[in-house]
Amino acid sequence: MFCLADPRDEELNENKKLPPGLLTPRRILTGVHQGVEDGGNKSGIPTVNGAFYFDIDFAGKPLVFVGTIGVLPQKINNNPTSLKTINIGDRVIMAGGAIGRDGIHGATFSSMELNENSPTSAVQIGDPITQKRLSDFLLEARDLGLYTCITDNGAGGLSSSVGEMALISNGAEIDLSLCPIKYPGLVPYELMISESQERMTFAVNPTKVKEFLNLAVKRGVQATDIGEFNDSGNLSIKYNKELVALIDLDFLHNSLPPMQLNSYWDGPSEREEWISKKQKVELDLTNINHEKILTTILSSPNISSKESLVRRYDHEVQSATHIKPFVGTTQQGPSDSGVIWLYPHGGSKDSAISIGCGLNPRLSLYDPYLMAQASVDEAIRNVVVTGGDLEYLCLLDNFCWPDPLEDSKTERGDYKLGQLVRACQGLSDICSDYSTPLVSGKDSMKNDYSGKSYDNQNIKISILPTLLVTAMSKCNINHTVTSDFKNAGDYIYLIGKNSLGLFGSELVENFELNSQEASFPPAINTSLNYQLYKQYHQAVKSNLIKSAHDISDGGLSVALCESMIGGDLGANINLLMDKNTFINLLYSEATGRFLISVDQNDKEKFEKYFPQTEIILLGKVSTSKSLQIKNNSKIEMNISLQDIKNSWSKELV
Amino acid sequence: MRNKPNVLILSGDGINCEQETSNAFQHANASTKIIHINDLLDNPKGLLNFDILALPGGFSFGDDLGSGKILSFKLKFGLEQELAKFVDMKRPIIGICNGFQVLVKMGLLPFPTLRQSISLINNSGQHFINKWAKLIINQKSVCKWTINLREDNIIKLPIRHGEGRLITSQQNLITNDQIPLTYEHDINGSMFNIAGICDPSGTIFGLMPHPEAAIFQGVTPNGLLPPHTPGIGVKFFESIVYYLNNI
Repeated sequence: MFCLADPRDEELNENKKLPPGLLTPRRILTGVHQGVEDGGNKSGIPTVNGAFYFDIDFAGKPLVFVGTIGVLPQKINNNPTSLKTINIGDRVIMAGGAIGRDGIHGATFSSMELNENSPTSAVQIGDPITQKRLSDFLLEARDLGLYTCITDNGAGGLSSSVGEMALISNGAEIDLSLCPIKYPGLVPYELMISESQERMTFAVNPTKVKEFLNLAVKRGVQATDIGEFNDSGNLSIKYNKELVALIDLDFLHNSLPPMQLNSYWDGPSEREEWISKKQKVELDLTNINHEKILTTILSSPNISSKESLVRRYDHEVQSATHIKPFVGTTQQGPSDSGVIWLYPHGGSKDSAISIGCGLNPRLSLYDPYLMAQASVDEAIRNVVVTGGDLEYLCLLDNFCWPDPLEDSKTERGDYKLGQLVRACQGLSDICSDYSTPLVSGKDSMKNDYSGKSYDNQNIKISILPTLLVTAMSKCNINHTVTSDFKNAGDYIYLIGKNSLGLFGSELVENFELNSQEASFPPAINTSLNYQLYKQYHQAVKSNLIKSAHDISDGGLSVALCESMIGGDLGANINLLMDKNTFINLLYSEATGRFLISVDQNDKEKFEKYFPQTEIILLGKVSTSKSLQIKNNSKIEMNISLQDIKNSWSKELV
Repeated sequence: MRNKPNVLILSGDGINCEQETSNAFQHANASTKIIHINDLLDNPKGLLNFDILALPGGFSFGDDLGSGKILSFKLKFGLEQELAKFVDMKRPIIGICNGFQVLVKMGLLPFPTLRQSISLINNSGQHFINKWAKLIINQKSVCKWTINLREDNIIKLPIRHGEGRLITSQQNLITNDQIPLTYEHDINGSMFNIAGICDPSGTIFGLMPHPEAAIFQGVTPNGLLPPHTPGIGVKFFESIVYYLNNI
């Protein structure tokens, strides 16, 4: 999941309107993409789902979210694998790469504003092969029962891994001079906090140390015994046997007083502008050219196909990817979520998981409460639509916020903190409404760039308040659905409530719309949505649904195009509604809706699943290879599949 | 030949398809053992306890110095005599994707001379690509790994590589019927659209596409059959098991 500025924006890329020192959005996209390609592919982990989100306020600090999911046997040698234990006298063993000066202050760096003096060495340069060797090794050592506790040396390095593990035995003592180093000259403080994704700390029973270290040598993994867990109540750090730090564990973990901060939220806000606004084309509501609107939206950076970038990720290594990023006979229709079959991983025969995500930072300007709810709803829709079961679903939240601490450099910090409170309230309420647990998450609170603009003015670029929600749910391999239309003649339905509102939509991002709806976003009705998702899941289990696609960015019009592209088929849509409702129906990004196709003969059976739900029979899948939309018998849109594909295939870089 | 051939599946140092390769052989009724490169090099004679050697896909040694290069050196110099014996006894070897690159670089393909004679270089598109490709089975080929694909002229398998463009001056690959597998359409710039080749005996087989990733319909795009139905990829592994059971 990348949040970046538009890589096609001429002002930022060619016309040098960026503050000096910042990389162009195009350069950032190319580099970030290459990093994920290299890291993911070489780790042998399939990259099954993600998204690109473009907004000019990510020009100062881009956001990159990457996550992995692993499968763990419940028991190994009859021991529950979820338990971590450390006994007094167990050895502290560090394994993985050697320590260098890269990766120092990485954790704090990501929580600081960027400026022209920001260090380039804060982030450790990953080495996926060292990490792959380590992960192969730790699985083998796990199955042999060679360690009882493990923590990675990510943010904070040894200070957080040993510091946290020491809580289990109530103390630890390590000697940093024993740590393998990339080059001499590192002081104890640097050794303690240098972080790396390919180093981990293990607790090993003294009787297993020899076997553990021997296996590490055989697997090409550097492992070093650096100390011992004890019950002293302290974290004791030595260098060449000399004490360099001694800190009480209780003080270390529990003494930070909670911050007392003020916050308020008094309604929608305008963007803090750091670059002149782009002129949008004004829409003439008396004579709307829907083909023009659609092709503009389809080719916009947030909607256009990411296929050429995504196909450079290995999305099916391990041979268990059931729903891949692109689906349909053309293998070009975007899927809503990735589905991994657990059977090839040793799971039961029909068991699978669906993984998807959602975010909507633009809504933060209107109300972060709605933004959080829209993000959760989108993530859940994406996994439910492919067959995910709402009863077995969990979420992760990742907050990235502009600095919410009011000081000389930050104006309206209290308001930004108020936005955070609103977002948390929205998140909490929707999770209760859907009975969905949030099982993990992360946050980063200083996503700002301060410096001089290209014309030497003081500027600050702050990101839009962003909440990325990842959803994961159980599904059954025999009952999954993809987004591509399957057969001509199938009925096309829109199910779910069509709330009015176009604020934050692609339509309003690309065009100046002189209408009331442009000023507010669609309301979210969680109880209706919840009911719909449950009904939909029952319909999925009956295998009645031939295709289903989540309606989100770009609205129904884009969803129709994507289902057509996947199936290499057309669609004939007939509607009867007033003009305003029609425009909303085509372009609104209201939550809680799916675009579905079913066999004509299954019409009644299908409709029975949705007794109290708003359900519109839109029309039929056709062989005509075009999208034709009539309203009140008048043709409002008629565009060929080829024209749709041409617009949608506009490359990002 | 006993019923269940023993397959050695190499792992470690960046190889990442060992598990699915093992699953694929097991589906074809073979016994498998996944062995780390270093363990095999510690005990080279162990190689001869196996009937088949499989080099799975992945990024061995991070593809530093070129894809498959370091692993090819390790095997060539660490297992020289045992490998020569294994090849002499016509015991089958398969290299998939990175494993194919290793077989080419150590000089087991297209001729088991231990001297590299062809190359697999960067795709013409200059980047990694993951896509299901249509492949043509050459029914005249001497390859023992495709004998159960006699009724399948065109099949689909996924490709997942950055360096799969085969470059050769060996016209005799064609006359010797050493090209069992070609892409239906140019996908990476490979000469003659070559996707896989075998040695003149047909027992050593290297291919860029991943048959072990097509063991079930459930991982095949657009699979209309139930997910547990065997996929086309199984037939490659069944072919070699059938061959060993019938020589």
